[in-house]
Amino acid sequence: MKNRAGQNSIGPNWASWFGLLTVLLVSWALFMVFVYVPTEAEQGIVQRIFYFHVPCAWVAFAAFGLVAIAGFFYLRFGQKIWDDLARAAAETGMLFCSLVLITGSLWARPIWGTWWTWDSRLTTTLVLWLLYAAYLMLRAMAEELPQVGRLAAVVGIVAAADIPVIVISVRLWRTIHPAVIITRQGRHGLEDPRMIATLLVAFAAVTVLWIWLLMLRFSILRTARRLTELGGGLAELRARLSEQEPKRGRQILDLQSR
Amino acid sequence: MDNLSYLFAAYSIIFAAVALYVIFLWRRQTLLDSRLRSLETQLSEIRDGLAKS
Amino acid sequence: MSSFATILHKDLRLELRGGQSTITLNILSLLILTVLTFALDAPSRSSLLAAGALWVAMIFAGLAGATQAMVSEWENECIRCLLLSPADRGAIYAAKLVASFIFMTVAQITSLFLMVFFFDLNFDMRIVRLAPVLMMGAMGFASLTTLLAAIQAQIKTGELLLPLLTVPVFIPALISGVKATQAALAGLPFAGFAQWLKILGACDLLFLAGGYLLFEQVVSED
Repeated sequence: MKNRAGQNSIGPNWASWFGLLTVLLVSWALFMVFVYVPTEAEQGIVQRIFYFHVPCAWVAFAAFGLVAIAGFFYLRFGQKIWDDLARAAAETGMLFCSLVLITGSLWARPIWGTWWTWDSRLTTTLVLWLLYAAYLMLRAMAEELPQVGRLAAVVGIVAAADIPVIVISVRLWRTIHPAVIITRQGRHGLEDPRMIATLLVAFAAVTVLWIWLLMLRFSILRTARRLTELGGGLAELRARLSEQEPKRGRQILDLQSR
Repeated sequence: MDNLSYLFAAYSIIFAAVALYVIFLWRRQTLLDSRLRSLETQLSEIRDGLAKS
Repeated sequence: MSSFATILHKDLRLELRGGQSTITLNILSLLILTVLTFALDAPSRSSLLAAGALWVAMIFAGLAGATQAMVSEWENECIRCLLLSPADRGAIYAAKLVASFIFMTVAQITSLFLMVFFFDLNFDMRIVRLAPVLMMGAMGFASLTTLLAAIQAQIKTGELLLPLLTVPVFIPALISGVKATQAALAGLPFAGFAQWLKILGACDLLFLAGGYLLFEQVVSED
């Protein structure tokens, strides 16, 4: 527990600095995507979607891993902080997973001529989205239960453990997704070094954006939990005072203001 | 190469979604602010009551 | 081990003494297959459609059965007594799992026969070769729903939560199960769909291990 009076101020200062960093990095990445990088020869201008699409996919998967890891720590050690972290990761992961699906089909429509195909990576991402949705629905429905953290952690762990089998089975099922990063011949799909530089900056920008949103959500959840605890403490204090125990009540009050 | 609209749509959706999430977070934050304020008034009420007695 | 046998015995006895879940599951399977026959315009001897219909029937009947079994357990506070007893959590999980596996298998046999009738197939070796595929599918599904139905049962407003939780996790098993069923119905030998059986087996192991290890976390009380 940190110092209640000092550090518990709402709207922490690091967030604004980190937010500034996020804005700078994202603007830089956008500049590179729209001005700096040359247009890809075969796919034309739509290929520029790719620079944000791929980092979003990476973030969606990373967030899902974090949900499972935080869930595991919560089951193991029982500190609520892990539960809050898992919840924040699931919400932000859902955001980026949706963005992957949307930007992906906006790219596929002009290039493949269809909004959606049952290609292996698309299918895996869709299943991932469904798993996120189930996790968040469970959290929403069980919000009032004291054991919600444990139930959600179990679902998060089962879902993450399921991902390797999903990937294998779906890949065997079918695939037509372009292997951009390393093609079968072993060379990069990205010919120009400027494309690689742009992709790297976009990776950094989207990752920092995710971490910023994650930390904001996490701190809000932490604060909400502390406020609930404080409210419970206050209610208890009132109950004791009304039981005509002024002495004991004053002691508790002193403890709290310290 | 008339696919500019797809590119435009993709990036606007990305930033619209992020903006919506930030607004959602901001509303949560103001909710917490008001909760904190009500707790503070409750605490000071109790303190006043104790000081009188 | 003895607590495992006792709980399993209790569940089976309850069912034999006029429990409804087997009957419900079988009628539900019949309904689903009927609906699919109409919806897919099936009597065209398509074993592809038949394989899909079989698995759809299995999933929805299995979901209904698992909900019923677990929710009644929670409503009667029966689960609390079980948890207060010295029975190992793993044994409770295993007993519940085996019971729902048996009920699902019974329903599967029914839907297998119905499928042969509705989709105008023949009773031959192909149907026999389906047995291990379907049993592996039922095993995986039962181990998953036994864990997840215990979650759903604790949430008052969560009647629809179980399909939401179960189906996405079950997708790899569904893909490989349907593929293996199609191959078996097309008359291929086991070697022809060994890779799908391997994936199905991996799913079963994963769901079993996950359920066994995590069941305690789901049912323990703070």
